[in-house]
Amino acid sequence: MRVSDIFGLHEVPLRIDLEGISITVERDAGGIRYKRDCMDEEVEDLLLSSNSKIRINPVEPVNKPKELSPHFLIEFEKSIFIEPSARKTVFIKFPVEIGVFVYGKKNFQILDIFTLNKQKFTLYGDVINGVICKYWKSEVYSTIPDANPVYEGVMELNITNTTARWVEVTKAVFAAYGMKIYYSDDMVAMRANMRIVSKKVAEIDFVNPPLEKGMKRSLELYTSRLRQIPVIATKFLMDEGI
Amino acid sequence: MIPSTIVYGDVTILDLLWIAVCLIIAVLIAKVVTINIKRSLKDRMDRDHLEITTKVVYYTIIIVAVLLALPALGIHPSNLLVAGGVVGIVIGFASQSIVGNLISGIFLMFERPIKIGDQLRVDDISGFVEDIHIVSTIVRTYSGLYVRIPNEKVFTGIITNYVANIARRFEYVVGIRYDDDADLAIEIIEDLIDEQPFALKKPSPQVFVDNLGDNSVNIIVRVWAPATEWYGLKMDLLWEIKKTLGENGIEIAFPQRVVWFADEHRKREVKDAESDS
Repeated sequence: MRVSDIFGLHEVPLRIDLEGISITVERDAGGIRYKRDCMDEEVEDLLLSSNSKIRINPVEPVNKPKELSPHFLIEFEKSIFIEPSARKTVFIKFPVEIGVFVYGKKNFQILDIFTLNKQKFTLYGDVINGVICKYWKSEVYSTIPDANPVYEGVMELNITNTTARWVEVTKAVFAAYGMKIYYSDDMVAMRANMRIVSKKVAEIDFVNPPLEKGMKRSLELYTSRLRQIPVIATKFLMDEGI
Repeated sequence: MIPSTIVYGDVTILDLLWIAVCLIIAVLIAKVVTINIKRSLKDRMDRDHLEITTKVVYYTIIIVAVLLALPALGIHPSNLLVAGGVVGIVIGFASQSIVGNLISGIFLMFERPIKIGDQLRVDDISGFVEDIHIVSTIVRTYSGLYVRIPNEKVFTGIITNYVANIARRFEYVVGIRYDDDADLAIEIIEDLIDEQPFALKKPSPQVFVDNLGDNSVNIIVRVWAPATEWYGLKMDLLWEIKKTLGENGIEIAFPQRVVWFADEHRKREVKDAESDS
């Protein structure tokens, strides 16, 4: 089995043993038994269904080890300096979290989420006005980097400097509610826009078209919640420094 | 006929019964409306705002029903405005503490130093805020006790809200032996903190030798964590530090004294003198 074979809609029974991930879905008396073993964490569920399918795809990387915040901060290994009134594209990596959904009667339900990456949180801003964010550190690339889709995804970040001066960018903060995740055989990807409005303020939102043609759209968790709570902002305003 | 018996003015027992039925219906309507609001907004609002919204709706329905029922009792709302001032003063004197609690409750709802679900300490009482009523605040202590605190006491007391800010810091003092390598101990502790997801990357943790104590080299460990995860992390991390330091040959120092006996001391002096000669 190849790495790319993990993602997609699977029939039951299903067995995946790859990259330290072990997933078994088999029919049992009265239902379907789901077992997962990954990073010393074991999950076992019984699904009371006879003909459901299993869908596995990347989800927003803010769910593990606990759904603490919908915000995600990527710190750059090296600072980026962007010239005045310019629009540049860079690529960064983000950690992949994998969601397992059960699909039956035209309805998806999240069953399990896991990741192979180290988990860390950070604070963006101060303790009174700031937000807790999931943390990741990434190199900045000028072309699409290679990444194992089970571990890391690639994000295209289009940075627009609307100011009349050079601006240093050291990090980017994203809101999970706007994430649009796509996957293909060899890549997990997102696209985002960062609009710098002053030396310390920027606005970040996600772009809908996939990074490459033919990529499949993930079934996201936060996008479905957005339909229930339409007032939540999908953009993130970085007003505590960039 | 008893129902047509006049109680006072033009008000009969039938009128009173009719008003009682109307008020009961109003309470039922208020309950049905608030239950439906709770059901439909439960996933869309946090518990604190939902409780306030349902209370406002509930009491508005009741007040409107009472105001509509008053004319049937021969009392017109316009008369209440005139009488209200006098009645207010009388009630104010008669029930100072209740009015005090009520006003404190209103100020608590506007100022919002605490919300439902927060962890707080007021005077000696610590726990989770279960509900904020108009005259009292309900707290569930950490040991599971139900405590009702009058709002006046909450409002005028010193409130410590443990989760008002998004992150908070905790601190350990780790005392190691003088023979141990403090640099290695600091490195081990920093690695352990880095492995903990809830130990925040920023504000950065601090690990440093704070002072050279009587019995140990004291290393201060300061870690920031999300306010909701603070206690769990504090509980886990200290024992991890102790175990990992021990695995690397670094022990926590015990208080100790070197005791010299006079006789033994004299013998040593003689021995030293002989060896010198």
